[in-house]
Amino acid sequence: MEEGAGEAPGLGRSAASKDFRFYHMDLYDSEDRLQIFPEESTRMRREGVQAEMTHEPMRGGVKGKAPGDLGEEVDELVHPYGLEDDHELGDEFIEENTPRIEVSEYPSYMMMGSEQRDWRLTGETAQGEDLGFMGWGSAGQCQDLREAYRYSHGRASEEYECYVIPEEEDEEEVADIFCVTCKTPIRASEKDQDEHKQHEVTPLSKALESAKDEIHKNMYKLEKQIIEMENFASHLEEVFITVEENFGRQEQNFESHYNEILETLAQKYEEKIQALGEKKKEKLEALYGQLVSCGENLDTCKELMETIEEMCHEEKVDFIKDAVAMADRLGKFLKTKTDVEISAQPDFEDQTLDFSDVEELMGSINTIPAPSAPVINPQAPNSATGSSVRVCWSLYSDDTVESYQLSYRPVQDGSPGKEQTEVTMTIKETYCSVTNLLPNTQYEFWVTAQNRAGLSPTSERAVYMTAPCPPIIKSKEIRSCEEAALISWESGNLNPVDSYTVELTQAEMPGASGVTESVVGIPTCECLVQLQPRQSYTIYVRALNVGGPSARSEPATVHTTGSYFPLDKHTCHPRLTVSEDGLTVVRSERRGPPREPVPSDAHFTRCAAVMGNLIPVRGRHYWEVEVDECLDYTVGVAFENVPRQEDLGANRLSWCMRHTFASSRHKYEFLHKTTTPDIRITVPPKKIGILLDYENAKLSFFNVDISQHLYTFSCQLPQFVHPCFSLEKPGCLKIHNGISMPKHITFY
Amino acid sequence: MTLKQFSSSKCFGGLQKVFEHHSVELKCKMKFAVYLPPKAETGKCLVLYWLSGLTCIEQNFISKSGYHQATSEYGLVVIAPDTSPRGCSIKGEEDSWDVGTGAGFYVNATEDLWKTNYRMYAYVSKELPQLINDNFPADPQRMSVFGHSMGGHGALICALKNPRKYKYVSAFAPLCNPVLCWGKKAFTGYLGIDQSKWEAYDATCLVKSYPGSQLDILIDQGKDDEFLSDGQLLPDNVIASCTEKKIPVVFRLPEGYDHSYYFIAIFIADHIRHHAKYLNA
Repeated sequence: MEEGAGEAPGLGRSAASKDFRFYHMDLYDSEDRLQIFPEESTRMRREGVQAEMTHEPMRGGVKGKAPGDLGEEVDELVHPYGLEDDHELGDEFIEENTPRIEVSEYPSYMMMGSEQRDWRLTGETAQGEDLGFMGWGSAGQCQDLREAYRYSHGRASEEYECYVIPEEEDEEEVADIFCVTCKTPIRASEKDQDEHKQHEVTPLSKALESAKDEIHKNMYKLEKQIIEMENFASHLEEVFITVEENFGRQEQNFESHYNEILETLAQKYEEKIQALGEKKKEKLEALYGQLVSCGENLDTCKELMETIEEMCHEEKVDFIKDAVAMADRLGKFLKTKTDVEISAQPDFEDQTLDFSDVEELMGSINTIPAPSAPVINPQAPNSATGSSVRVCWSLYSDDTVESYQLSYRPVQDGSPGKEQTEVTMTIKETYCSVTNLLPNTQYEFWVTAQNRAGLSPTSERAVYMTAPCPPIIKSKEIRSCEEAALISWESGNLNPVDSYTVELTQAEMPGASGVTESVVGIPTCECLVQLQPRQSYTIYVRALNVGGPSARSEPATVHTTGSYFPLDKHTCHPRLTVSEDGLTVVRSERRGPPREPVPSDAHFTRCAAVMGNLIPVRGRHYWEVEVDECLDYTVGVAFENVPRQEDLGANRLSWCMRHTFASSRHKYEFLHKTTTPDIRITVPPKKIGILLDYENAKLSFFNVDISQHLYTFSCQLPQFVHPCFSLEKPGCLKIHNGISMPKHITFY
Repeated sequence: MTLKQFSSSKCFGGLQKVFEHHSVELKCKMKFAVYLPPKAETGKCLVLYWLSGLTCIEQNFISKSGYHQATSEYGLVVIAPDTSPRGCSIKGEEDSWDVGTGAGFYVNATEDLWKTNYRMYAYVSKELPQLINDNFPADPQRMSVFGHSMGGHGALICALKNPRKYKYVSAFAPLCNPVLCWGKKAFTGYLGIDQSKWEAYDATCLVKSYPGSQLDILIDQGKDDEFLSDGQLLPDNVIASCTEKKIPVVFRLPEGYDHSYYFIAIFIADHIRHHAKYLNA
C-alpha cells in the first residue's frame, strides 16, 4: 500500500520516507501481504495494535524533543511497522464488512509527528475520512470503497479481487454459486446466461471455503513474517544499544585525553613565559650597570679635562709641577681601558620550543593499557559440527582489544610421544568457528587479547569437542514388519559417542512434507522403531556427543508393507550362495568342494540351509517363496538356536514344509520333530506363502497362485523364530519379502 | 410352498431350526435343518449346504458334528437336508441300507421305479437353494457345499457339475469314485445298467471333464477308516485325476480316525473356516 500512497498526488516523499519504503518493500512486498482479511483474526490483531497505539503518542513526543537524533532513527527501525500496516489493512476490511469506526485511532496516528511519516499521514487521514463516511454508507457504497482501496493499494489489489467474495450484490437475489473463470459470485440463474455458460462454477460456500483457506494460509505466513520482523527489530535494538555504549566510551576516552593535553600545554606556556621574563630582566639589569659605569667614566674624564684646563692657567713653576703629576694621572687614566662593548645583546635569542612531550601526549590519546586475559566460555550445546566448533569468549568491559589470538590443539590421549601441533589464529570477534577439525575429537582452546599496548595474559583452557561423524545405516540389514522396523548402523566414529538419534519422515504421498519424528538417546547401534502399517519412511541416524549432533546419515527407506527380512549369511551352508540382494538362495550344480564358509559357528552343517533375520516383533508375518515344482526344498521357521547339524523339522525347534520330488511324484511333508501329517496336494505350488502368527501360535502354508491353504501348524513360540530355507538339490529359491498379506489368509 | 417349523433351539447365539415342506422334485414331505447365526438377524448370510451320508437324516449332522460354534462365529447359514425321499411307497425302498430310503446318492434317478421321487440331485442343487433363498436371509450369490461319505460324494459332484455355482467344496471321507464300488448297486438301481450314465455322478469321472474354472477342494480322510481300507472310498483316484487336471486338492489323511462323526467333529471347524474364507472372498 505504500506504493499506492506514494504515487498518490500531492504527497511529498522525503528521503526519509524512501528509507522507510525500502524497509517496507523489502519485507512486505510479497503479494500475500494483501491477502489478510478474515474478519475474526483481523479483529484479534486489531486488539494488539490498539494496545500498541497507547504508547504511540508518547513516543512521538519524545522524538519531537530530539529530532534527527540517532535514537529516533533507530527507534523508527525497531518499531514493527508491519503491525501497523496490517492494522491499517485490517481496519479497512473491518469497515467494509462491519461498518464501524474507531475514530480514536486516527488521532493516534496523527500524534506520530515524525518527519518520515508526514507523507503517510496525509494519505492516512484522507483515507480515514473516506472510510469514515463510506463505512457508514449503504452496502452499495462498498464498491466505491473498494475502488478507493484498490487505488491506494496498487497492483496487489488484484490479488484481493481474486479472493474476496463481495457480499453486497443484490440483496433480493443472493448469489449462490461462484464462477471460477470470472472469479465472481453469480446467481445460479445467471449460470445459464451466455456470459458464464462455458465457465466452471463451484458452489459459493465451497469457493468461500477455499478462499478462506487461502487467506488463513497467508495469515499464517504473515504472522511468521511479523515474528521475524519483530525479532529483527529487537536485534537492531540491541545493536543500537551496543553502538551507543561503544561510542560513549570512546567519547569519554577522547575527552580525558584531550583535557590532559590541554593542561600540559597550559603548563608549558606558563613555564616559557616565566623563563622569558627572567631573561629580559637579566638583560636589562646588565645594560643598566653598563650605563652607570659608562656615566662614571664620563664624569672622570670631564673632571680630568677641567683639572688640565685649570693647570694651563697656572704659573710656569706650578704648571710644570702639576703637569708632571697630571701626566702621570692622565697616563694612569688613559691606561684604564674604557669598556664600550655592549654587555647584553638587545635581540632575542633564538629559543626553540620543545613540544616533544605534547606530541607524546597527543600520540598517547589512543594508547591504552594492554587488555586483561579474556574469559573463554565452555562449549555451548549443539554448537559443533563434525569438522568445526564455535568457540566463544568474552573480554572485560574496560578493555580495548584490537584482536585475539585463538590457539588450540587436540587433547592428548595419554600418548605424549606424539607431537601435537598447535594452531594459532588471529580473530577480531569474540567468537570463532574453527573448521577443518577431526570429528568426535576433543580440542583444547585458549585465547589472548591484544591491542597496541600489547598482549593480555592467556585465558583458561577450555575443551571443546567436535560433533561425531554421521553413522552409516546398514541398509541391507534393515528388518521391518507392518508395525515396526529394526534399524542398525555402524557408528562411523572411532571413539565412542554419547548416543544416537533416529529420525523418520513418513512419505505419505509425493509432495507432502512429512513430519519428522525422532527417537533420541539410543545408546546402541540398533533401534526398533514403531511405525504405521503400509507406509514408506525415510530414516536417518545421527550420532551425538557433547559437541552436538552429527550430520544426518545417508537415508534409508523402510516400507511397512508386510514383513521384510534379509538372509543371514552367517547361517548359510557352504553349498548355498545368497544373491547380492539377499533374496535368492542358490545351490549350484557343481559337485566340487563347497565354498569356504563364513567363519562362524552359526552356519548349517548338515542340511543346505540358510536363515533369515526376521524382526523380533510378535504379531503376524507373511512372506512367499518361489520354488521350482520339481525342486527338493524345505521352508519354514526355526528358533535361532536350532541345531545346525540337524535337518530342519527334525527337532522341536523348527517347523517346516518339505517337498521331495521322486519318480515324478510330489511329496509334501509338514515336519516338526521329524513327524508329518499325511497330506497330499494335487497342484504343486510354484509359490508358497508362509504366515507366521505369534498371536494365535500358528504357522500356515499356502499355495499363493490359487490361494489354497495347505497346512497349519499349531506351535507355541515362546521365543522369536526366523524364516529358514533349505535346498536338498541344486536349484534356487526366490524369497518375496515386504508384500502385504493376501486377504484369504486372514482366516487362518 | 409352505414351510412348517418343526423345532427351534438357541445355539451359540443363533437358532437351530428344523422345517418340513413338500418337495416338488421329490413329491413327498421333506425335513431339513437350518442354522441361523446371530448375523442372520441383521443381514444376508452366506449359505453352506451339508450333505449327509448313507442312512442319515437331517438330525445326525446337527446333533453330532458340533459345527455350531464355528458357524456362529463366521456368520454362515448351514442347511442340512435329509438324504432321500421318504414314505414314497416304492417297492424295495426300505429293503437295504444302500439303496432307497437314506441312500439317495444325490442323483436324479432315471429308472422307472425311482425316477418320480428319487431326484436328490435336483433337490439339493436347485429346489432347496431356491427355497432357502426365498425364505431365509441368504445371499443367493454365495453358497458352498460339503458333506460326509455319500454326502461327500454329493458335495463333490454338486461342485463339479456346477462350475462357479459353489464357491468351495470340502468333504469328509467321500465316496470319490462310486462307479467302482459302493455306487454300483445304487447307480444300477437309479440309473440303469448303462455305466456311461453313471459317470455323470462320479467325482473322479467328472474331474476329467471339468472345465477348469477355479475350484478348491479339501478332503479329510481318517486313516483308520474301515471303508477306506475296504476300497469303498478310493480317494487316490480322484487325487490322481485332480493332479492330472491340476485341480487343487488338499487331501489330508489324519492318523487314527475312522468313518464316524467323531472324526468329523474334530475337523469340522477347520472346514467351516475354509468355506468362510471362500464365501467371504
